[in-house]
Amino acid sequence: MKSKSKKSNLYSFWFVVPSLAIFCIFFLYPIVTSLYYSMTVWNFDSATFCGLDNYKMFFSENSLSSSIVHTLIYAFLTSGLKVVIAFFIAIFLTSKIRTKGFIRSCVFFPNLVSTMAVGLTFCALMHPTKGLFNVVLQAIGFSPINFLGDINLALYSVIATDVWKGLSISVVIYIAGVQSIDKTYYEAASIDGASAWQQLKSITLPLVAPSQNSIIILSLIGGLRTFDLIWAMTGGGPGFATDVMASVIYKEYAYGFYGLSTAGNVIMLVLISCIAFPLQHFLMKREEAIQ
Amino acid sequence: MKKSVLAAMLAAAMTVGTMPATVFAEEAAKPYEGVTLTMWIGNTEYNAGTQAVMEKATEELGMEFSIEINPGGTEGDNIIKTRCASGDLPDISNYNSGSLLTALNPKEHFLDITDEAMTQKFDETFLSCVSQEDRVYGAPFTTTQGGAVVYWKPDYEELGLEVPTTWEQFVSNCQALKDAGKTPIYLSCGDTWTTQLVFLGDNYNVLAKNPSFAEDFTAGTAKFATDEGGLASWSKYADLVDFYNADASAAKYDDGLEAMATGQATHWFMLTQVIPLMIAAHPEAEENIGVFAIPGDDPENCGLTVWEPNAWYISKDSANKEAALAFLDFYFQEENLDLYVETIGANGPSCIKGYTLPESVAPAIRVDMQAYFDAGKTAPALEFITPVKGSTCEQITTSAALGQIDGATAAQMYDDDCKKSAVQQGLGWE
Repeated sequence: MKSKSKKSNLYSFWFVVPSLAIFCIFFLYPIVTSLYYSMTVWNFDSATFCGLDNYKMFFSENSLSSSIVHTLIYAFLTSGLKVVIAFFIAIFLTSKIRTKGFIRSCVFFPNLVSTMAVGLTFCALMHPTKGLFNVVLQAIGFSPINFLGDINLALYSVIATDVWKGLSISVVIYIAGVQSIDKTYYEAASIDGASAWQQLKSITLPLVAPSQNSIIILSLIGGLRTFDLIWAMTGGGPGFATDVMASVIYKEYAYGFYGLSTAGNVIMLVLISCIAFPLQHFLMKREEAIQ
Repeated sequence: MKKSVLAAMLAAAMTVGTMPATVFAEEAAKPYEGVTLTMWIGNTEYNAGTQAVMEKATEELGMEFSIEINPGGTEGDNIIKTRCASGDLPDISNYNSGSLLTALNPKEHFLDITDEAMTQKFDETFLSCVSQEDRVYGAPFTTTQGGAVVYWKPDYEELGLEVPTTWEQFVSNCQALKDAGKTPIYLSCGDTWTTQLVFLGDNYNVLAKNPSFAEDFTAGTAKFATDEGGLASWSKYADLVDFYNADASAAKYDDGLEAMATGQATHWFMLTQVIPLMIAAHPEAEENIGVFAIPGDDPENCGLTVWEPNAWYISKDSANKEAALAFLDFYFQEENLDLYVETIGANGPSCIKGYTLPESVAPAIRVDMQAYFDAGKTAPALEFITPVKGSTCEQITTSAALGQIDGATAAQMYDDDCKKSAVQQGLGWE
């Protein structure tokens, strides 16, 4: 026993203490206390235990439960669109074209602007009467679209803006992935007579899988906890049409419903974990299978 | 002996005489020279009137002010709650009275001003909105105001319309205006709180049908979806859907202010605090703007729903309590009340006992609104007679206003929402 532990304890246990302490104080302790407070009616001074009532309310009340659905739509749609569109843009930008540097900067540009600024700008562009989009639509003979005021359209308008803004990071990751693919594969394939489409499908697509996986995970988690863009563009409205979990939690907090808001945070933590961990596992498996 | 006393007196008199007299006067009159009061106040409240009184206070009492702007709405609530919890309140805060104040638990954070001389000037209705357990914590920032229909008189004159006393008449007026090519109603969903006025301003009619509604509602026994008047309030939105401006879903409060002050729309469901602001932006609008209460069913009993003003609160932990109290005391001197009203105007009759508004106040306030007060046909808004206010009220009213949900659904959603608030406030609703 003793000789065995001697070997595994090559480094002292005390080496991990600083980071473990930081982890416990700033991560573990808040998670555990938030689990407790999520089961109380809490006003900072006193907390009355109420069991699972807050959770029940979150799932039963329409304005709260609809936010879970919106969050899922938002996360999967933005992530999916970014993965697909960014792939083709990256392929285009790694091909032999002139002004490559310029177009790459153009694609990256939206990412340099703060999300709030993007949100407010698009909000102005999508204004039902004065917005540029509708002015153009009307000029070419279409009837104006109420992008952010129509309950069935508002969420998708925000999603489109998010994709516009978030595409650049995905493109950059894809470009790195595409460029790291060994050129000899393409040479061998073209000698064998493979068409450009076949090369894309059978060489590029499988070999960018590692980059693609990072993009999927990053954009999905980003989508699940999105807040700033929604807040800048619609504030969750009209009505509850674009309320996502993060905005609902913020609002509940603002009303002083600290227990309920904490319960929302716990649900969000569980939701993100339940989606991110299995997905990560699945994607890693896929990556290993290719290699 | 006598000579030397006289000489000493003369010498003393000469020394004093050579000193600049102003130094004495200033030292006596400016007891708070060098004190800087921190103040948290919304944009609407930090207006020319408040600034005029503050400048005068700096001149006469000596204190300076350092202003932080309250962004208002949910964000403002969030900030003040966080500051209360972290013990970081400014010396003076300007915030709502009524249920929003109750939610802050004022006795923990604000100075008890029950025994101050100025507090004796405030009327009973106002006091009930800034008290907790019979102690008073707030002083009225301005006059009362109504939640009513602000309207453009020239349109009424042009089409020969009469001020409606029933909801039916109101809707037919709107139809007539629409037929004449006007925008009958302005809606500003860009600032969601503004959409609540149709519902909140209808409280007089709810109480007219069921006088005990507020108590029963607080107790959890009366519900909007099942109360006749309550359901009627929520159903009013459905009648208005066809009458809005084209950009209703995105227009802001400021857009509405501009449109109404220039006659681009005829009606706006709004708090009368907007009237002085409209007149400040467009002085020529003063004679053209009128106000009437949101009509109900009974033409004989048409009354106004009244909001008590925001209030000044002094932080319990302030290091400058005396200066803050001195400022408020100064604020409620009659000449300074006049200075405020003459600079910016009034939102409605005052809640200072025995104070009458000067002649300079706009006719919409001094005549139209005063008539309801004189006839005794006023009722406080619901947020001043029950601590329960649904937290997502403005989202529900926006949905209802845009015609996305009908009145019955909206009333049911609001009931559920209120239940959530009541449970979180520990009222023990079933």
